[in-house]
Amino acid sequence: MDLTKDAYRALEDIVGPENISQDQAVMDTYNQVWGNKLVFDAKWSTRPAAVLMPESTEEVQAVVRACNRYRISFKPFSSGFEIMSTALASENAIILDLKRMNRILDIDVKNMHALVEPYVSVYRLQLELAKHGLFIGTISAGAEAGVIASHCCHFGSGTTQVYAGGLGRNVLGCEWVLPTGEILRMGSAETGNEWYSADGPGFSLRGILRGHSGANGGHGVITKCSAKLYHWYGPQEWELQGSLPSLKRLDRVPDGFKAFAATFATRDDAYDALREVGQAGIGFSVWLLIGGEMCEGNDEFWEMFQKMDPAEMQRLAHSLLVILGANTTREMDYREKCLRKIVDKWQGQFLPPLNDPEYLALRSAIMFWSIGTVRETFRPCGEFFITPCTDATEDMIKLQNTAAVEGLMPYVQKGAIMQPGPAPFHLPYENYSVGSHIETIIQFDPYDDDSLQAVREWTDETFDPKGKFCKFGVPCLGGGLQIEPVSHVVQKWGPEYDNYDVWLTKIKDALDPNNLGDWSAYVPPLFP
Amino acid sequence: MAIEEYEHDSLRCTRCSFCKWIPWESMRHPDFMQGCPSASRYNFHAYAAGGKFNLALSLMKGRIAYTEGFLDAVFKCQMDGSCDISCKAVQDIEPLQNMQELRIRCVQDGQGDPAHMLVIEGLKKEDNMMQAKKADRAKWAEGIPVKNLIKEKAKVVYHAGCRYSFDEELWPTARAGLALLMNAGVDVGIMGRDEACCGGRAYEMGYLGELTKFAEHNREVFKAAGVTTLVTPCSDGYQTFKVLYDKIGRKLDIEVLHITEYIHRLIKEGTIRLTKKIPLTVTYHDPCHLGRLAEPWIHWKGKEVKVLGQMIVHEPPKKYRRGANGVYDIPREILKSIPGLRVVEMYRTRESAWCCGAGGGVKEAYPDFAIWTGAERLKEAKAVGARAIVSACPWCTRNFKDTVRERGHQIEVYDIIELVRKACNGKINM
Repeated sequence: MDLTKDAYRALEDIVGPENISQDQAVMDTYNQVWGNKLVFDAKWSTRPAAVLMPESTEEVQAVVRACNRYRISFKPFSSGFEIMSTALASENAIILDLKRMNRILDIDVKNMHALVEPYVSVYRLQLELAKHGLFIGTISAGAEAGVIASHCCHFGSGTTQVYAGGLGRNVLGCEWVLPTGEILRMGSAETGNEWYSADGPGFSLRGILRGHSGANGGHGVITKCSAKLYHWYGPQEWELQGSLPSLKRLDRVPDGFKAFAATFATRDDAYDALREVGQAGIGFSVWLLIGGEMCEGNDEFWEMFQKMDPAEMQRLAHSLLVILGANTTREMDYREKCLRKIVDKWQGQFLPPLNDPEYLALRSAIMFWSIGTVRETFRPCGEFFITPCTDATEDMIKLQNTAAVEGLMPYVQKGAIMQPGPAPFHLPYENYSVGSHIETIIQFDPYDDDSLQAVREWTDETFDPKGKFCKFGVPCLGGGLQIEPVSHVVQKWGPEYDNYDVWLTKIKDALDPNNLGDWSAYVPPLFP
Repeated sequence: MAIEEYEHDSLRCTRCSFCKWIPWESMRHPDFMQGCPSASRYNFHAYAAGGKFNLALSLMKGRIAYTEGFLDAVFKCQMDGSCDISCKAVQDIEPLQNMQELRIRCVQDGQGDPAHMLVIEGLKKEDNMMQAKKADRAKWAEGIPVKNLIKEKAKVVYHAGCRYSFDEELWPTARAGLALLMNAGVDVGIMGRDEACCGGRAYEMGYLGELTKFAEHNREVFKAAGVTTLVTPCSDGYQTFKVLYDKIGRKLDIEVLHITEYIHRLIKEGTIRLTKKIPLTVTYHDPCHLGRLAEPWIHWKGKEVKVLGQMIVHEPPKKYRRGANGVYDIPREILKSIPGLRVVEMYRTRESAWCCGAGGGVKEAYPDFAIWTGAERLKEAKAVGARAIVSACPWCTRNFKDTVRERGHQIEVYDIIELVRKACNGKINM
């Protein structure tokens, strides 16, 4: 749908002719993203009416005000790597691609927080922070994930959450252009130039800003965020070695860190050990191996897989990788002692192949900075989806694991989804923000009818509040594929959880009286 | 091949945007992490390789027609292959091949870039990409007592290429390269006025027919000359002779070497001795066509099969060109063997090098973009403390020299041949 000439001119005046497009071909590069086939049954979702690239908060504010004037919906994104970033509830909608807002504005070393704009990626910030001995936690969306997207707008979990927490916990002061065009500065940012707290002095709106799963651009534009930082025990600079980019590795686990792989008799034992590592507060990064190993490509993976001893594969699936970090030898000794005690308690072993220094060096780089990238999730079959996905107690996690394995087994046996190892993927994370967390990752080919059908069936089953998986609770946005006008998750599950759908719609209505912040990955003020 | 052959890849592009950056594993500095000049300069997703998958798919399915935005995104691109490396660090798909086929489709549909059309007209008439007279092709070598392979026999053909043949400022480098070989006693000759374009740049512009034509012509000419080895100081030419001819089924049946490979061989043999000191801090710029794009072509014929339920693999197994096998170490080893020369590395090197800006027809059609891209590279060179940037390709050298002139950068620009000549012990002036 074309914008009116007046509306286009008004928007063009704000960002300049180089930074706006309504070319139909260019627009078709803003509606093709993974997940579309599963959700919309096509590679394409709604084509935006225009794409704009504002450069500053002032430009964002002016654009949003123009949207209110001309009644145009808008959706902001940073990298746009999800269906939730590009899906639009209306054809009369524009996308704000925030690529030009890419500055690291401040690193407050003393108070350990960094102020960034939306297009600053986690790894870019990390390279800068390491010079100051600081670290930023991230979700498992890869090194290129945006700091603001992952901290303020979206759901995710990651291996370093055991150390740095997750979800909204690290959001400090924020600058937020509301859907009306008003600029809101949260927490201490409201009182002046300090960005050290999200909770005051000034408004504490962290829950409304993102809650558990984020508004995904549905209630305005976060233009600045101060993120809480943690100690980085490693070097100020590093260089990964190797000729193939995908297999580059640190030459060793860096000083300041130690890495261990502990193998247990059962997956439940591994979960228990994982929980205790979290409770002891000793881990920098933890991860349960999932039966797969990194390879150059699918063919190389398959070749390796065929040669693998089934017993070794089983061991991988019950193995826990733990990275410890410390500033002093004494501190490291303590952490290592704790870890060994936990592993002993659950009768784990540090088996030689997995504790080979080269292997640990390879794994540690991924566990510091990037995991769950396209290589691990998309390359095997094309796409992945996550459901069920639970933040809960350890017992619930184990229960879900068992139920998911049993539930998915018929699809695995039919060959409709991939089973890369002896069990479907499960990524339980222990972190002090949310207890434990598990994601049941289903890898499938959206362009294979049987595979697509299987995932749709499974999704319908786990998304049904009256279905047999309802005990695992409301499906979270972990798969990045919850498009409310299609899946109706909030609408269906709200009544089961104190009518949280009503609360959400009231919040939306209060923040966005004209309902212009695209709600496809959030909620409307009133469900149609 | 055609864009239709890459429909599967277009469908599987996730929009991860890795194509815009160098692989995270290679990132070393927060200011030098971007990989794609086109997406960095023009920002819209259409300019990235992922966007080109989207454009190709939408075009195939009839959702879009050729628009101004479409063609702008397709042709404002150096085809430097950085996207290909980053994408294939995580995926088994072929973004660069899709982009190549998209350009070919544009040309077939009469949607080629207007500036490129002029160059191609010149190529058709004069056998060169420089819009110059064929009759002037051998001027660069005037006065050098070298064999003309049309009349005489030699084992090695020295192919200067279009840029060196007609860019007068670069003639001393082309001459020095030839002189190095002659002084080392190599049985070398040139084609003189009868040297023809390799066809590689035309192919990058979308003209498959021109590549085929020149591949067939050059194969015949080299065969008739009876040479066993081709040496070229042009990285574009090297990649064309070595990779593209093979790709289109016209592999040369002679050895193809870039001059750095030959010089390296002569240094190892002790025929060339680098003894003169050059007290200079330099950084080496990996030309795309000598580095990641020079990886040998891998022919594969087979089928896709599913294992482990839905995992996509190939029968027989398919090897992808992922950037590990370009010519990266040899130029560095040459530089390191020059006394007094201090070599510092930039942040984006080898398969992750930032493009000089000249490739893919950008220098010809979008000179401002070429300069912008070159300036980004010079910024990086200066950031690591280099006083000079050294390349091994006349297109890079030309664009860096133009960038220095236009932007006033305080940095010297050399081709590696010039430094070898300076450091060389033997007689070299011709």
